[in-house]
Amino acid sequence: MADYAPVDLTAEGQVEFELNGRKVTAPAGTMLVDAAFAHGVEVPIFCYEPRLGPPVGACRMCLVEVEGMRGLQTACSTPVQPDMVVRTTSELAKDGQDGVLEFLLENHPLDCPVCDKGGECPLQDRTFRFGPGKTRFVEPKRHFPKPLDLSSLIAIDRERCIQCWRCVRFSQDVAEDKLLVMEDRGAGSVVATLTGDQYVGRFTGNVIDLCPVGALTSIPYRFRARPWDIRNTPSVCGHCPCGCNVELTEREGAVQRVTGRPDPNYAVEEGWLSDLCRFAYAGNDGPDRLRAPAIRDEGRVKEAQLDEAVDAAALVLGRGGKVGILVGPRATVEEGFLAQELARAALPGALVQRLGIPGAGLEAIRSQPAAQLGDIDGADLVVVVGGDPGEQQGIVELRVRKARRRGATVVTVGPRPHGLEGLGTAVRSEPGRLAAALEALELPAAERMIVLWDEADLAAEPDAAGALARLAGERGARQIELGLDVNGAGLRALGMGATEVLDAARRGEIDTLLTIHADPLDGPGGPEWGWALGRVRARVAIASFASTLTESSTVTIPASTHYETEGVYVSMNGRAQRLRPVTAGPEASAPGWEILIALMHRLGAPPPYRTAAATFAAAAAARPALAGLDYDALGVLGAPVAGVAPVSPNGVNGPREPAGTGLPLVTTTRMFGGADAYRAEALAWVRTGAELVLNPAEGARLGLADGARARLRSPFGECALPVRLDPAHPAGAAFATTGVPEAGVERLLPADRGPVRVEIEVVG
Amino acid sequence: MTVEEIRAHIDPIRHEFAEARSLILPALKFAQTEKGHLTREDLEAVGEATGFSAAYVESVASFYDRLYLRPTGERVVSVCVTLSCMLRGADELLEHVCEREGLPHDGGTSEDGRITVQEVQCLGYCDRAPCVQVDAEETRGPLSLDDADALLEELRSSPRPERLWR
Repeated sequence: MADYAPVDLTAEGQVEFELNGRKVTAPAGTMLVDAAFAHGVEVPIFCYEPRLGPPVGACRMCLVEVEGMRGLQTACSTPVQPDMVVRTTSELAKDGQDGVLEFLLENHPLDCPVCDKGGECPLQDRTFRFGPGKTRFVEPKRHFPKPLDLSSLIAIDRERCIQCWRCVRFSQDVAEDKLLVMEDRGAGSVVATLTGDQYVGRFTGNVIDLCPVGALTSIPYRFRARPWDIRNTPSVCGHCPCGCNVELTEREGAVQRVTGRPDPNYAVEEGWLSDLCRFAYAGNDGPDRLRAPAIRDEGRVKEAQLDEAVDAAALVLGRGGKVGILVGPRATVEEGFLAQELARAALPGALVQRLGIPGAGLEAIRSQPAAQLGDIDGADLVVVVGGDPGEQQGIVELRVRKARRRGATVVTVGPRPHGLEGLGTAVRSEPGRLAAALEALELPAAERMIVLWDEADLAAEPDAAGALARLAGERGARQIELGLDVNGAGLRALGMGATEVLDAARRGEIDTLLTIHADPLDGPGGPEWGWALGRVRARVAIASFASTLTESSTVTIPASTHYETEGVYVSMNGRAQRLRPVTAGPEASAPGWEILIALMHRLGAPPPYRTAAATFAAAAAARPALAGLDYDALGVLGAPVAGVAPVSPNGVNGPREPAGTGLPLVTTTRMFGGADAYRAEALAWVRTGAELVLNPAEGARLGLADGARARLRSPFGECALPVRLDPAHPAGAAFATTGVPEAGVERLLPADRGPVRVEIEVVG
Repeated sequence: MTVEEIRAHIDPIRHEFAEARSLILPALKFAQTEKGHLTREDLEAVGEATGFSAAYVESVASFYDRLYLRPTGERVVSVCVTLSCMLRGADELLEHVCEREGLPHDGGTSEDGRITVQEVQCLGYCDRAPCVQVDAEETRGPLSLDDADALLEELRSSPRPERLWR
């Protein structure tokens, strides 16, 4: 993890001091450990972690000698002063560091061949580099029953703990879930939860990364591998649109672990990951993974080789008739661009569409100056409009909490209650009346205002998008889009619209449909798509996981997941970042872009490039929104995409007046409720089912008690859900959870996720 | 103890504390008066009354020897095991007392519910080591093993006094 805070040695207000005999400078107020590290001097630390807030000086590992001060000082909590004389390697300082390590190791079991942190353990490393080399302790070490489960994801070996407080500080001060504490005192101190309850939260896995010894370990990864027999690759998470930077661990061809990067991306996730991002990898090899190409011929399904399937797909697509191409939100920029090239060069007249929210009416707000997630920290006013960021764009929650801790005012406006409401002023809007709420919004004066706005909520209310754009413009605010789709912004940047194929299919004009990581039948508007696809003659699916669509496609070609392919994702707020494959995936699968290039060759229109990098270069040259981006220069941290924001072509949203009768439906996705969480066995214990949440008054009116089962019916479809009555939810609306595979709340929604009303009745 | 009762107790003294978390201790002490120990519900109620998580409240409660997270016997004997007392035989004293009461080596409550023995960190009575504290009120030392026997006899035969937490 990030041990030392970055120090700007060129900033104003430098003070000069002496470090191990050298005259050096650092900005006033910089902690000695950071200033020393910036000048190439490493002071060993355990408890210090700049991202956890002010230092606590708990471990005493960073003892240094400061001339004129009695005794040794903790460098983590001593700011640099003009003319300070510091010695980090003097005999006195060395003696202090030796002593601390000898003391820490008095009870630490040194079970490195057993401990998962062996080889990745700062205690081990620092003992070798800074330790005394021998110990005077000969007494037997402490033994506890081990390990205890702090949760179903995290185990604690208590004797390894050096009580640095990092995990407790993360829980108390960063995630603010307030669940982890240090219990008892003295030799009996242990990290614990309230009377042994499970440590349940959305960001709990970060304490594993933070632990400088092997006291906290990941249960899914425990004993799976050793640091010397794994391969780590920096990549980007593909489970939500935040674009968090991750490190993927591979062993024996499978993803074994996902962790934060040692050098975090401060513009995005700052090294913290949500538990979905960290633990959902287990679903990559789940039972619904497509492992073999299939060709369906007159009702019979034949397993095929990859080449055969591509040949068959080319045959199906090239036999004439109009082709529709549907690109799903998980497709990379390269896959989207190749789909467009396929339509342009090989299948003239083919329609290409992305699966997602059309977003007409969002241009005004999208064209306001954009901010990166890291900019939220420095804001003094954060306005969250719509959505449920803690559940849908997890890492945003930590950023907003951090801003609030630094003194920012937080204002939330929207129809549904959510976790960020408690951080400041909450303005509850009626469903469909967001614009009125925004017009009436009274905000305090602020120099640095940032607006976070939910793509789906504002797309459903374009007048609210306009009102918000005016507000942001007047106040000089920067904006961050809370998108829903992993690479929705990347596909928009290609100029890809979101309505053509469905409209054409409805009219019976599509003869053959090619889907690329697209799953329209199981998503919003499933019934609409089902009806439209009933008129399509043949379907070719390039997909990673089995779905209703792949089960009936003419040709199915297994594609790599984001763990297995090269390419670029553009995060919801417009940051282009590179995916790097850590495994090859199933033998008979291939990256989507490779399959598309092969298809273009088969169809007689080979593109003049054959790598992901060259494809991206072609896309950047052809699409103004991507202009200036260079694949290699994206490096490991990515770069903001300047022109992605305003582009939402061909967007004609559904009717603005809600369709149907009854209560307006307000939907949200839970972090552990979507298909990714369902695929990962490790997350089974925190999975949340879908539910219908009603205000108790509304429940009474409809004759629905807590725990009853209700049927919801909209003009598009119907589903049945268990009912929960909750006074925190306002009357006058129905709140339901989307994303849960078996619940099918998506069936209630139109394909463009526009506003809808539902009739509710008791089941049975 | 209910949240309202705890609030009624701490609201009048709230102004005496510069930091809200300092209210946790008087709130816990008050909550303990009801049963002589703190239940999970008490921890949650104190958390709600003071604005801290129940887990944080438990971490405070578990730090202090005079707050009990389990039911105690009628009389509580706290044996100091910190350095001065340890060097003067605290381990033997603790073992002796536990053995006499039929308890595991680190303490517990006797079967008849009369005596609870616990080991505690420093009682600040180093000049009279080894020492014990009775009912969180009276500290005695130095104690020989015979003195400890006599003390236990005395506690068993004397009625339970009005305690700080009752």
